[in-house]
Amino acid sequence: MRAAILTRLRPGATQGAMRWSRLLLAAPVLLGSAGCVQVAAPDKPIEINLNINIRQEVVVRLQQDVKELIDKNPGVF
Amino acid sequence: MNRRLKLILSAAIAVAATTAGAGASYAMLQGDAAAALRSGGQAGEQADGYLGVVGSGSADVRSQVDAVNIKRRAYYTDLAAKRGAKIEEVAATTACELFRTKVAPGQYYRLPDGVWRQRDSAPIPLPGYCG
Repeated sequence: MRAAILTRLRPGATQGAMRWSRLLLAAPVLLGSAGCVQVAAPDKPIEINLNINIRQEVVVRLQQDVKELIDKNPGVF
Repeated sequence: MNRRLKLILSAAIAVAATTAGAGASYAMLQGDAAAALRSGGQAGEQADGYLGVVGSGSADVRSQVDAVNIKRRAYYTDLAAKRGAKIEEVAATTACELFRTKVAPGQYYRLPDGVWRQRDSAPIPLPGYCG
């Protein structure tokens, strides 16, 4: 649309307008990549916190429920 | 379904799964994903109540371990809410029980010291809180 108007105004402007419209077309692509969050794989392994903070009485209280949980879900445990 | 048909069916499924290189997915369909991962030596039981990948592990193994752990987390959350306990407490208690009953000799486990060990014929030396 813009190219057509420019052409009517000044025949020699076609090329410049084409270039301009190409830039307009490319803009979203450029913006898109600029907004993209870069996710890099960590170079160190993820450390797992195995520091268990639990009292034995809690374990005793939960034990029976946990046994049932394990028995009822053989695929998961 | 009679016994013979069952046998033929399971054999067919096993062959299909093996040829597709998807023995582990087959195990998943059979509902013993955690046991299969443990006995294959690709994963082991951790003191935090979740399965862990032993070594670097393939993408397939990692995704299977994740899938199991997501389910575990849901069960722990549920039980913790029911009993007024912390999720971590339910998870750690479960780990004690899994160390006791599910990790067979030759399979891997990881105590709070973070080191992967292979169980021998003796029972796993349980952390003090396991009772």
